[in-house]
Amino acid sequence: MAKKTAPSAGARIASKEKKATVKKSPKTQKPVELAAEKLFEETEDEWEDESDEEATKLKSKKVKAKKAKKVAVGLAEDDESSDESEGGHGFDLDLARLDESDSDSEMEDAEDKEESESEEDEEEEEIDIDDLSIGNSSDEEEIAATTRVRETINNKDALLAALKRIQLDTSSSVPFAYHQSVISATPTADAITSIDDDLARELAFMNQSLEAARRARTLLRKEGVPFTRPTDYFAETVRSDETMDKVKAKLIEEASAKKASAEARKQRDLKKFGKQVQVAKQQERAKQKRETLDKINELKKKRKEGASSALGATEADDIFDVAVENELKSGNSKKRSFSAGEHAPNAKRQKKDSKYGFGGKKKHLKSNDANSSADIGGFSAKRMKTGGGAGPKKAFKAPRLGKARRKAGKK
Amino acid sequence: MASVYKALSKSKGDQPDVEKDGANGGVKRNKQRVLILSSRGVTYRHRHLLNDLAAMLPHGRKDVKFDSKSKMYQLNELAELYNCNNVMFFEARKGKDLYMWFSKVPNGPTVKMHAQNLHTMEELHFTGNCLKGTRPVLSFDAAFEQEAHLKVIKELFLHMFGVPQGARKSKPFIDHIMGFSFADGKIWVRNYEVREVEKAKGEGKGDEESTNKGKKPKMGDKDTDVSLVEIGPRFVLTPIVIQEGSFGGPIIYENKRFVSPNQVRSELRKAKAGRHNVRAEQKREGLGKRASLGLLKNGEKKKDGTGLDTRELFA
Repeated sequence: MAKKTAPSAGARIASKEKKATVKKSPKTQKPVELAAEKLFEETEDEWEDESDEEATKLKSKKVKAKKAKKVAVGLAEDDESSDESEGGHGFDLDLARLDESDSDSEMEDAEDKEESESEEDEEEEEIDIDDLSIGNSSDEEEIAATTRVRETINNKDALLAALKRIQLDTSSSVPFAYHQSVISATPTADAITSIDDDLARELAFMNQSLEAARRARTLLRKEGVPFTRPTDYFAETVRSDETMDKVKAKLIEEASAKKASAEARKQRDLKKFGKQVQVAKQQERAKQKRETLDKINELKKKRKEGASSALGATEADDIFDVAVENELKSGNSKKRSFSAGEHAPNAKRQKKDSKYGFGGKKKHLKSNDANSSADIGGFSAKRMKTGGGAGPKKAFKAPRLGKARRKAGKK
Repeated sequence: MASVYKALSKSKGDQPDVEKDGANGGVKRNKQRVLILSSRGVTYRHRHLLNDLAAMLPHGRKDVKFDSKSKMYQLNELAELYNCNNVMFFEARKGKDLYMWFSKVPNGPTVKMHAQNLHTMEELHFTGNCLKGTRPVLSFDAAFEQEAHLKVIKELFLHMFGVPQGARKSKPFIDHIMGFSFADGKIWVRNYEVREVEKAKGEGKGDEESTNKGKKPKMGDKDTDVSLVEIGPRFVLTPIVIQEGSFGGPIIYENKRFVSPNQVRSELRKAKAGRHNVRAEQKREGLGKRASLGLLKNGEKKKDGTGLDTRELFA
């Protein structure tokens, strides 16, 4: 719309002059000179802080200049028509009007009203020259700044004309199946609080389309247009089967990964729980031991009290603490001497017990005696020759690694 | 004679791509054909997006890459050659930026848009799918009715993405919906599958199967509801310029808010360079300050050329 004006002095004048011409009403083309004079003074006071003397001087100057200059009519006109959106001083127009009337009175030439319109542009131009020369520097800067900004183009008339040229009829008079387009009731942007919030944004888009789908379906059904694809209707799809397989595989993979991680977490939790169980067991054992000791002490005390007068107790019993043994056996003793009825530990334990001993004297248990030295049952000459040793066939056993490396290796 | 008649009858209708359809009693037929092609230098993603769009448009005609970037008007001739009245042109620049041109061929308008955030159907692992060539329902944001340039863009989308009724390879059902939303000064394009799901209250299932599917004119509305599953592709368009003609003519709209990706990149680079400059400046200033205070170490000290240095004087 607005023309780009070169940032020269002339251009600045022209754009300045715009302001003056904007709100000029055609009915006040020829005001009375007196009234104009008054108005002029008023405006001068408010517009620029100039004295009346200056103003009058200015006026005479203008008139002179007007005769001399007959250029840039086209430019001025252009600018007048172009920028109507420039707001600004309400009094400028009065000033312009005044100038016009002044010049008309001075010049005796009978000029047509139509012509004078173009001339008033010139006059206004002159005004602005003076204004600028007097020094309204802030204005000057402002104008320069506005001319530098690249004007945006939005020619609505041309856009609508172009639209009209190609527009399809989507009014309610044509069947919906003709165009199949739905316009949402409310702008989608209203539903989006932040454009960076992916979930909310996509949800808003989907809601827009969902609403459209519902409306389209009712409209199409009303028109008797088939909407739903029958289940036995097969045709080529937009996304190939391979792609869909990939999608499916990915979904499955995701699901299984989730499941696996859940399982692993469960295992970890169990391990933690197992530790707790172990601690609890240890505590229970300690408690049992304490109870046993208490019981023994109690019994000893009891026996000391009625030692000699005991009924069934003999001297020997007393010496070997048979009662204590009995008492412990009746409770849950740890001593293992398994009778036939009692539950024996597992075979491995029994073997180990027999080999290394359980209870009793430990001293000299592993030392050889005559029989053991003579026994060569565990010896094999063949194995001796291969150099493998008596153990399993592992010829070389790797040294035990550090804990961290062992753990890493297990995974 | 026949050709004269044809020309005359054609010129009578003010809309060139809409013709009277004799069979349909006065309803104008929507005839659209879209030429879909790209420039040289597109990346695989751009190409896949183009393929996705072409797969969705049975009234589209895919052509080989167009060689020239300056002589865009040649596209008009090309479109005429293929009997197309729409052109969708993917212009790639610098092997990374994609600009999409949408044009009505004989006499405009043309919209140029910058495409961002492209995601093709394949790379989006959505579960939706639809038949090739079914007519989509086009869902437009209400914002498209509010401004003149958006109205034009909407009309172009309607012509290009909407499959015209009775198009050659189109299928008779509706199973997907294309959404065009306007947010943040950009147009967001989405594509969803329409799935019909049972509503909570069940009716007699047997008769539903036979009658409900598609053919039932009115009553089918009650028993099922629609749900959407996204198919893809996804992309975001920023309108840049609208020209009055087809690949030419005066510019009738220009988006002031659009910032070219080149500018964005250069700003980034400058910011990066700026960081270094600021640091270098600071270092220099610090050195100067220390020199003025006489705090410099021996290695850093400069000789002054006057010859009045104490060490020189009393050497």
